[in-house]
This record gives sequence, structure tokens and C-alpha cells, in this order.
Amino acid sequence: MKALFQKSPRWLLVLVGLAIFGIVRAPFEEHTRKKLVDSHLLLPPPAQDAIQQMSQSALMGTLGGLRTLVSSYLVLEAFEHFSNKEWEELRSAYAIVTSLEPRDENHWRDVVWHLGINATANMQLDETIPEFERKRRFNEYALLAVELAEQGIAQNPDSAVIRQQLAEVYREKLKDDCATARVYQDLVGLPEAPQYAERFAGYFLAKCPGHEQEAYDHLLRLYYEGEHNHVASLIITIKDLEKQLEIPRSLRITEPYPDLPGLTQP
Amino acid sequence: MSEPAVEVKNLTKVFSTGLSKNYVVAVDNLSFEVAAGEVYGLIGPNGSGKSTTMKVVLGLMAASSGSAKVFGLDSGDIRARNEIGFLPENPYFYKHLSGEETLKFYGKLCGIKGSELKDRIADLLKLVDLENAANRRLGGYSKGMLQRIGLAQTLIQNPRLVILDEPTAGVDPVGSRQIRDLILKLKEDGYTVFLCSHLLEQVQEVCDRVGIIFKGRMRREGTLDELIQIDSQTAMTLENASPELMSKIHDLIASDEAAGIIEEGHPRTTLERLFIQIADQNKKEESA
Amino acid sequence: MSDSKTTLQSPARSVPLFSISRVWTLAISTLTQLIRMKTFYFLFAFAVLLLVIGNFNFASSPAQALSTIKKVSFGAMDLFAWLFAIVATALLIPRDIEDRTLYTILSKPVRRIEYLLGKLGGVLIVIGISLSVMFLVCAGMIQWQEMGYIADEVSASPNGISDETRQAILLIEKNGFHSDLAVAALASFMKAAVVASVTILLSTFASSSLFTIIVSVLVFLVGHAHTMATNFWLAETDNNMVVQMLLKLFKIIIPNFQIFSFSEGIVQGAALVPALIWQMTGLTGAYLVVFLLLSLLTFVDKEF
Ligand SMILES: Nc1ncnc2c1ncn2[C@@H]1O[C@H](COP(=O)(O)OP(=O)(O)OP(=O)(O)O)[C@@H](O)[C@H]1O
Ligand SMILES: [Mg+2]
Repeated sequence: MKALFQKSPRWLLVLVGLAIFGIVRAPFEEHTRKKLVDSHLLLPPPAQDAIQQMSQSALMGTLGGLRTLVSSYLVLEAFEHFSNKEWEELRSAYAIVTSLEPRDENHWRDVVWHLGINATANMQLDETIPEFERKRRFNEYALLAVELAEQGIAQNPDSAVIRQQLAEVYREKLKDDCATARVYQDLVGLPEAPQYAERFAGYFLAKCPGHEQEAYDHLLRLYYEGEHNHVASLIITIKDLEKQLEIPRSLRITEPYPDLPGLTQP
Repeated sequence: MSEPAVEVKNLTKVFSTGLSKNYVVAVDNLSFEVAAGEVYGLIGPNGSGKSTTMKVVLGLMAASSGSAKVFGLDSGDIRARNEIGFLPENPYFYKHLSGEETLKFYGKLCGIKGSELKDRIADLLKLVDLENAANRRLGGYSKGMLQRIGLAQTLIQNPRLVILDEPTAGVDPVGSRQIRDLILKLKEDGYTVFLCSHLLEQVQEVCDRVGIIFKGRMRREGTLDELIQIDSQTAMTLENASPELMSKIHDLIASDEAAGIIEEGHPRTTLERLFIQIADQNKKEESA
Repeated sequence: MSDSKTTLQSPARSVPLFSISRVWTLAISTLTQLIRMKTFYFLFAFAVLLLVIGNFNFASSPAQALSTIKKVSFGAMDLFAWLFAIVATALLIPRDIEDRTLYTILSKPVRRIEYLLGKLGGVLIVIGISLSVMFLVCAGMIQWQEMGYIADEVSASPNGISDETRQAILLIEKNGFHSDLAVAALASFMKAAVVASVTILLSTFASSSLFTIIVSVLVFLVGHAHTMATNFWLAETDNNMVVQMLLKLFKIIIPNFQIFSFSEGIVQGAALVPALIWQMTGLTGAYLVVFLLLSLLTFVDKEF
């Protein structure tokens, strides 16, 4: 035995040792890896198309366990693109960032904000682009923001911040009250949802044609839920809806019109 | 004297060099003993296998064949290393440590602790005359100082055997005298010293017995007197000899049929002469 | 030295089979060496990096800013840990051989496993100290920023804390400091420990530091491709046998470093699963033991 040990080349013995250890640990490692990925402690490898878009050094870094550094660097680069109003470049930088760290809701929120709010605002203002092209690109960015928000929500089903950003795009840019209401309604019940989400869902539903009754029921329920919901907008919206829906006087809420500056009592 | 301090028997060490099947026989069937308490010197030219022999004795290298024992223990035995203090050729220690820290480090490696270690370090620093440099980092030590701190390091665990590989290489005459005196002191204190060198003068001054090694093989071995003495010859060293006296001596020798002058001149180190003689012999053997 | 005559007659002192105090001596000496090589100056660079990131206002929201500071600082910690593990380990042993310091060490009653353990231990102590310091600096920085952002939110709503403000503060806190982050630093340490043990194994074979460093870095990078190898190549049925065999061999021989990157998930706020952290600790231990034993296999009768 000793003679055998002394005769065989060491690298061979080491290789055999490594192989045995490798075979023993492989199933354990695969099991642990799956559990780590399931519990979101470990990020799965980036998607194939993101890999193809990455520069060589970014790819090396990513494969070498420097993923967070690479993505932080790309966020920095994206900010540079934002400052220079280079929206296409910003978009592709975030495509990689969100692929590297799909579980970071901040990235999704930011890209939706950049494209849905900043890029669209830029399209409204930028005089160097012809009018029709600006309109087209305004719509394109807004819709792209919506699509990215939906991707982000699919990756982070519990995310409130992405939905809030999405609602802002619908509300401020696309002026789609029905969709805005839907997104606010989606927020309800999420762990980090703002408390106003449920009320907002009602306000925008009220503006969504054909959903007035639904909005009225929704808001009235909130009204009777407690004093904390008796905010001015809620009362005004309910009173407007009471008129629109011709609710009998006896069923209307007794609260007077809130006394707000700049608000004219009808 | 029961057990020899070092016992090397038929030691052969072969190095394979490179990928091709080239071999260097560094040590070739070497046998010798170092008795406990003596100072033994292995001398030989560069590349004759002195360092290799020492490394095998220390267990830093395995013998290709044959054996090396220290106080009856196989040289690979870790217990043997408790009995050996080793100073490699051109020793370097951690440059970032001070002299005192260096000794502390090696002392702790030998399992010495606390006040025992402290006292030991103080003794040794005094012995090698480095008390004033104890707190300086070794990066700033001169060659001679390094050699001396190295010598102190070999003694830290109070070993029975001290192995010194060219203890005076690169040290100036004053420094080598200091080291030579230290070796003599060690001998006086009962340590066994096994050293190697190609500086014959020094070996001659400190060694009880000498082995001359050439191309890995022992050529001559014995006490200094035995080695140097040539029975058929008589050397005479004169002082203040006048030319008249010299011519008288020449005449006298000429009158004798059997006698003759082999060499005349100012005296040289006799060991050196022997050394060169063996080298010549070796050359002749090779060309033959 | 008067007692030397008596030791002359005494029998050989015995040497314990394994001495933790010798390992400790070697580890502390390695630590001292690394300190005196001024490696800890790196920490200043780290602090500067943190300050730059902290005051660089590119983030769209406080949450994003905090998240970025965390990611960059923990990413830098991770990078430091494994890179340092490779370079320090690869430099120290060959340096001892070159300087012949190894001769004097090994000619003392020191077992070779103790030497390897001491060197590895020293490197790991340095990494542990550095990671702890960096973690504390980083924790302080994040908490300071977090408090600043919260104060901003509060002062922005002078009429008491509204719903919205509370929401914003919650979001800031969610992205701010969390004690779980200590485990992220621990994860980097585990990764570095495994990398160091791989480097030790390589350095017992290699003849130069540079070679060891290059090969170790390669092994480390390639060690992240396990899952990709499985997903992209092993799944393809039309690959030929040889490629399949080579990939299988690669998967068996090369450590899986990717699974040691779980600090990323912690930094992004994933909830800890203690059982998994224990499993990873165990795996790290297994790597250390196996790689040290394999290193010993070559080192035990290596000639210098
Ligand atoms: N590790 C090694 N690998 C290959 N050859 C070696 C090795 N060590 C020594 N040698 C060879 O063995 C021979 C003896 O070397 P060694 O160092 O023992 O000589 P030495 O007597 O100590 O010489 P010097 O006086 O120069 O120190 C030399 O030819 C040397 O080249
Ligand atoms: Mg030599």
C-alpha cells in the first residue's frame, strides 16, 4: 500500500480524490442550490438573450460572481444615458440589469419611471423631433413602460413599488382611468401597498365609463369602513356619483361638501 | 559514547531533472558517522552534495537508497527534529520580524512558552551578540547579523545536534571569526556540530574530524592530523632563516642519497593542498 | 547553556501528533506578515469607495440609492475576499520556499499539515478581520444614509406623518440596513475560504506564484459555470460523447463556486433560511477538509 502510494504520481491521486469528492458532493450541492434559488438567496443564471447583449467584460464579471457589481455599474451607465436623454441605450442597459437581478423591484420601478415618465415627458418637449414622430415615440415609450412593468410584476408578484409606478404611467401619461383603477385595485392587499390604493381604485373607477355603479359601491363600502377614509376626495367622488347614478336622497351620505380652498360647491 | 549523533549509511540521492530521463546523482553511496559531542566538517567543492546530504539527514528530502539516522531515530522522524538545530545556506527569515520576534516564532514552533522562552531568547541574543539589534527588523540586518540570528535560531529548543550549512558564507573575516568562536563554544558546551563548508581554513580551525566529499562520494575521512600527516614526508617551518643557513641545509640534503626536497616556499594551508591534490586525482581518474 | 550537557544524555523529547498551538503560531506569523505587508491599507480604499457611492447622487429614489450602496459595498467585499484569498495564499507558500524560510520551519518539530493549516488559517484570519471591518463600516454608512433619508421624508411633511410618508419610510427601511447582512459577509467569507483551499492545493503542485494565481482565478471563474454547463450544454442531446464526458468530468472536478454567491440574495433582501446557511457552512467545512488533505498528499513528502 505504501509502495503504491509512493509510486503513483501525486497528481493522479489528487485527481482521484477530487473526483470522489465531486461525486459525493454533487447531489448535495444540486439539492442545496435548488433550495437556495427557491428561497431567492441565489440568483439563477441570467437569461440567454441578456448574455448575448452583454459586453465581454460584463459577461466575465457576471459569470465570475461579480453580478451585483456589474449590474450596479450598468445602472450607473443607464443614469448617464438618462442625463443625455439617450432612451434607447437606457432601455438596453436596463434589459441587462433586470435580467441580472430580476428580483430587484427597484430596477423595474426605475426603468418604468425612466421610460414611462421621463422619456415620454422628453417626447412632449423635445423640439428637435418632428411633431408626428414625437407622438409616435411618446406612445411607444409609454406602452413599453407598461410592458416592462408587467414583466417586473411577473418576477416580483408582491411588489407594490412597480405597480405604483405603472399606475402613474396609466394615470399621467396614457390617461387610461380604467387601467389606472385596475392597477390600484391590484395593489390592495399587498404587504407594502399604500393605504390610499383602495380609495384611488375607486376614484379612477368612477371615471371609467360604465363602471360608475361599481365605483359607487366600492367607495361607499370604504366610507362606512371608518372615519379614516373620510377624506375630501372620497366624499366629493361619492357625492358626484350619487348625482350621476341618481341615488335616492335618503340613501345618500349625510356628510357636507368638504370645505376645500379652490373647490366650488355646485 | 553509545549512539552516534548522525549515522549515514550507503546514502544515495538521485535527482531526475526535467521531463527527459536525465538524472543527477547528487550523493553516491555515502557513509559516515558523527559522534556525539564532536565537531564534524564535511568539505567539498560546489555541487558535491553537501547540502543534499544535510537535507536528507534533516528529513527535508527522502533518500533514494540507504539511510540517515539522528540519535538512532530515522531522519524523517519528527522527534529527531527536536534534537536538531538547522541553519540552511544563505538563510533568510521573515524580513518583517525583528530579531527577538524571529526567535520567539521559532521557539513557539518548538513548543517553548512563557518565561522559559523569554529567558532563552535573552540568553541566545547575548550569545550571538545581537542584544542591541533585537528589536530591529531582519530586513535591515547585515549578512553577518542574519547568519548570527540564524545560529541563535538553531539553538532555540536546545537541540543536541547543530547542523550548519556553510555558516560563514558571505561573512567578512571578523564575522566569520565570531561565528567560529561560537562553534567552538558550542563544542565546549557539549553540543554536537555537523557543518559543511568549502572554506578549508575554517574547517581546519574548528573541526575534530573532517570528511572530504567529491561528486557525492566520500574521498577521505579522519581527524585533521590523520588527514594532513604524510608519513613519508617531514615538513619544517623555519623562522628568520638566513640564505647561508638555507644553502647549508641544501648541501646537507644533497649529501643524502635517499632524501630530496619536494617543495620549498612559504607555508600554505595544508588542508588546502590536500584538497587540490584530491581534485587533481579526480580529474586524472575521469580522463582515464 | 549550562544545562546542555544534561540534555545530551536525555532521550529524544516526544512531539505531539498534532499541536494546535503550533498551527496558531504559524497562523499568527502569517497574519503579522500580511499586516506588515500593509495589506490592510485596502480598507481605506474601501471606505473611500463607500463614501463616493454614498454621495454620488445618481439613484432615482432613496430606496434605489440604499440598494445600490449595499450592492456595491457587499459586491466589493466579496471581490476583495476571494481575490485576496487567491493572491495571499499563492504568494505565501512559494515565498517561504524561495526564501528558504520553509527549511528552518520544517526542520523544527512542525508537521507539514500544521504548516499548511497555519498558512491557510493566517490568510483566513486576515480575510475575517477585513470582512468584519468592512461590514461595520458599511453598516454604519447605510444606517447613516438611511437615517438621513428618513429625516428628509419627515421634514417634507410638516403636517404630521401622513400615510404616504409612512409608506415612504417603510420603503426606505426595507432597502436599508438589516442584521441579515452580517450573513452576507459570512457568505463571502465561506467563498473565500473555499477559494483559499483550492489555491493551497494548486500551490503544492505549482512552481510559481503567478501560475498558481492564474490557474486559481480560472478555476474560480469556471466554477461559476456549473449551472450554465448543465443548462446549455448537457441538455443538448446531439452533443457528441466526448464533449459530454468532458463536461461531466469538469463538473465533478471543479468546485461549484456559484452556490457560494448567496450573499447577493441576502443583500437584495431575501429572507434567510437558517437550515440552508448551516448546510453551506457544512459544505465549506467539507471543502476545506478535503482540499487540505489532498494538498497534504502532495506536500507531505515534497522535497525542497
Ligand atoms: N532539487 C534538486 N533538483 C535537481 N538537482 C539538484 C537539486 N538539489 C541539488 N541538485 C544537484 O545535486 C548536486 C549537489 O548539490 P548540493 O546543493 O548538495 O551541493 P553542495 O555541495 O551543497 O554545493 P554548494 O557548495 O554549491 O552549496 C548538484 O549537482 C545540484 O545541481
Ligand atoms: Mg550547498
